[in-house]
Amino acid sequence: MGEHWSGYIGSLHVHWDTLITMWFAMIVLIIISLILTKNLSIIPTKMQAVSESVIRFFTNNLKEVKDGEKHIPLVASLFLFILVANLMGQLPLRLIHLKNGELASPTNDINLTAALAVMVLIYYLFYGFKEKGFKYIYHGLGIEGIITTLVDILEMITRPLSLALRLFANILAGEILVSVVLGLFALAAPVPVMLFEIFVAFIQAFVFMMLTIAYITSAVSNEH
Amino acid sequence: MEDVKTISDLAQLGAGLAIGLAGSGAGLGIGIGLKGLMDAVARQPEAAGKAVGFFLLGAALAEACALYALVVALMLIGKI
Repeated sequence: MGEHWSGYIGSLHVHWDTLITMWFAMIVLIIISLILTKNLSIIPTKMQAVSESVIRFFTNNLKEVKDGEKHIPLVASLFLFILVANLMGQLPLRLIHLKNGELASPTNDINLTAALAVMVLIYYLFYGFKEKGFKYIYHGLGIEGIITTLVDILEMITRPLSLALRLFANILAGEILVSVVLGLFALAAPVPVMLFEIFVAFIQAFVFMMLTIAYITSAVSNEH
Repeated sequence: MEDVKTISDLAQLGAGLAIGLAGSGAGLGIGIGLKGLMDAVARQPEAAGKAVGFFLLGAALAEACALYALVVALMLIGKI
């Protein structure tokens, strides 16, 4: 853990293990969504009922946001991608030996989580400026207005930082915990820990989604 | 203190202190949250499902603070 199989594409420094597992997670998601949306009908089949209830989960969470339906693509893909990526850490992929590093969940690389967090930052800044224009960042020239603006600018750094670090550290801590317990008492003891990690995978995907929704809400709603 | 010879020895001490202090803080936070959950469920058992959802969200947020310290500790002992 913590080590990655580094390489170069041109002058870009890449982590091959993260790339492979990330594309694996994306391919799994794409294939599942293609299968689920193949034969849509008014009277839903079992598969369609399942996928509709997944979409209803997102609409329910976005109910209180202004024009919530608009944000479903980002929020749903973030949740599903992070969930699949986290769950991949529990597959026995590390039996495949690499030069260094290992095939685990791609979210144990801070570069990936930071990319997701910066994407969320750009998204909510865009909708904030679109909704309120220049007033989104400008709160007047009084002392309170200037302090609010400074706090807003500070939040642009702390929010993506905490989003990225939270997801990364949770998944990394899970992998460290599993390997420590594996060294302590192999075969039997890691099983409950790995079950707990599946639970953590759901919780972290949910937390990332809820914080994204909260940031979008604070960007588009008018509190004053 | 004779065994402490280099900066990296002190860094390991710092890593242990960081994760210990942060862990106790996160444990306190989750405990307070659980107390609130118990109070709420005892007062209004029918709202248990919703309250548990909020508790899990808050527990994950509190736990993340300890994990920031884990990242710092791993940095101190040079694993990242």
